[in-house]
Amino acid sequence: MSTIITLIIIVTVLRIGRRIFQKSHTKASENTPTKVQKKLGPWQRKFFTVWTFFAINLRRVFRDRVALFFTFLFPLIFLFVFGSLSGHSGVSLSVAIIDHSSSSYAKQFVAQAEAKSQKVIKVNRTVTTLAAANEKMGRGELDATIELPATFGNSKAGQPSGQAIVHYTQNNEQAAETLVSVLQAQFQGINAKFIQAKVPFTVVSKQTNERSLSSFDYTFTGLLGFAILGSGIFGPMNVFPELKKMGILRRLHTTPLRVWQYFLSTMMGYAVTGLLSLAVMFAVAMAVFHLKVVGNYLELAVFLTFGIVMVLGIGLALGGWAKNERKVAPLGNIIVFPMMFLTGVFFPRFLMPEWLQSVTTYMPLTPVIDGARLIATEGKSILDLGPQLGIMAVWMVIIYAIAFRVFRWE
Amino acid sequence: MADYILKVKNLSKKYDDKEVVKGISFEVKKGEIFGILGPNGAGKTTTLEMIETLRPIDGGSASIDGVDVASHPYEIRGVIGVQPQTPGFQDKTKLTELIQMFAAAYGERVNPRKFLDEVNLGDKADAYIEQLSGGQKQRFSIVAALVHNPKIFFLDEPTTGLDPQARRSLWKLIEEVRNRGISVILTTHYMDEAEVLCDRIAIMDKGEIIALDTPKKLIKDLLARGFKKEQQVEQANLEDVFIDMTGKGLHT
Repeated sequence: MSTIITLIIIVTVLRIGRRIFQKSHTKASENTPTKVQKKLGPWQRKFFTVWTFFAINLRRVFRDRVALFFTFLFPLIFLFVFGSLSGHSGVSLSVAIIDHSSSSYAKQFVAQAEAKSQKVIKVNRTVTTLAAANEKMGRGELDATIELPATFGNSKAGQPSGQAIVHYTQNNEQAAETLVSVLQAQFQGINAKFIQAKVPFTVVSKQTNERSLSSFDYTFTGLLGFAILGSGIFGPMNVFPELKKMGILRRLHTTPLRVWQYFLSTMMGYAVTGLLSLAVMFAVAMAVFHLKVVGNYLELAVFLTFGIVMVLGIGLALGGWAKNERKVAPLGNIIVFPMMFLTGVFFPRFLMPEWLQSVTTYMPLTPVIDGARLIATEGKSILDLGPQLGIMAVWMVIIYAIAFRVFRWE
Repeated sequence: MADYILKVKNLSKKYDDKEVVKGISFEVKKGEIFGILGPNGAGKTTTLEMIETLRPIDGGSASIDGVDVASHPYEIRGVIGVQPQTPGFQDKTKLTELIQMFAAAYGERVNPRKFLDEVNLGDKADAYIEQLSGGQKQRFSIVAALVHNPKIFFLDEPTTGLDPQARRSLWKLIEEVRNRGISVILTTHYMDEAEVLCDRIAIMDKGEIIALDTPKKLIKDLLARGFKKEQQVEQANLEDVFIDMTGKGLHT
């Protein structure tokens, strides 16, 4: 269902793009002298200007392989890398088993631990001595080591017994505790075969039907933020100084074109390519990483467009101000890198200490990432996002006020 | 009284206390090709840029067709055409699209083919700007600056770096522009160009206009001061030989 809607959105945008293309194509092939067109009003003329710049520059993007790569493929690479990193859910312990015993019980135990059916323990078979295991634990490559002493599984008076030892380093206490409880549960099953006893208190686990956020949901919305940040800031930051160097903006400056017209056409262009690239990310995430989108797609698109345009303002301010790339690169990095690490792009904000969370709430990208997650994976309506929209609106005003003020044509 | 399209009065410009244009005054008649000559750093480009609204005017005034440049920049931009020293156009954009964009910047919708045909670029309509030769780029740049039918057209060193054929073709084009009733102001380092093309020229040096008249009159004045060339001038020069051997037509 959700895939179908995404496809519809992509197809619609592409069809609009085609129509723009065809319209101008037929216009170009008309070989009659200029006809006096229906007179446009002054404001219609101003928006005609914006639309023409938007349409032609949009077509240009699809001819530019480098731009296409950075717009569409680059975020996908990150999606695949981070998606597969956060793919396996739940706890998994990397463990070595050092078996000194030769009893059949020990063999059985090892076979069980190495069996693929159980997910908690991942046995590293290359480690065979305690010394090697200690070294690997010291480097953090192993979480814990299970040692089976030589006496493990030896029968005494017809009844086998044994004690497994769990080794761990000071940094892995939790892992060891988990491992111990897993092993205890396993031994309990074995013990029950030998000692018939009625256990008064037991515990069973039961899954609720409530949907919860997986770590991929956080990873994915973080990557959406990354894509918005990348194209919205690094895009104009690289393109504008280039346009200035080639005298293209200077040339436009000799025409009555206004800065707002130029900005608006740029905003429209980035909104379309940005939304397309995010749509591709959604499609891949749903197809490959089983992302479940529960929110309304239209609301999501509207919200993301707002986010794209707001972040683009930072790029417009930087690129519009810069006379050359070298001047703007350090400033751009100072702005972009804190946002990458503090707004939930690469790891969720709830992992941060509380004071840091409360500060980073107000960074421009935070409400974009949070809002996208709230709509897409938690099914909230855009109307529920008052705080996010409020922060974004304030930033929008501040950012664009600066962008208009510092813009230079050359 | 002659009808003036451009009036410049005591125009001056300072960069960090250095006066690069020192209160110059001149007028350009309607339908005239007016040349500004001078060594590099004389202030030619700065003068043009002030008149074109690209740089703030520090002192004095300029008016185009009676409209003050400093106080009505957007109105001025609507009636001027500008060909900068190095014409820059965005790549991966078809010539037709660039024409459409420039027309749109003036709020106009045009038939780009018509403009491209005017400068013999009709067959390049779907080409990108980066696929053109130097001369083609210059011709394209000129036609792109005329999409809105300006009253006055500024060209900054339009023929620098072009081969003799392309230069001649551009002269013809500039004369055609003038014949359409558009006044032309150009800067150049080529004296032959100024002599052939310009109705009147101003010679600038160190931010000042040191001479202003028709090329003929300036030459006459010099001869009247007793100037003599060291060597008898031949009836032809090397450029004439080159043109004679390679033809007048454009090669690209």
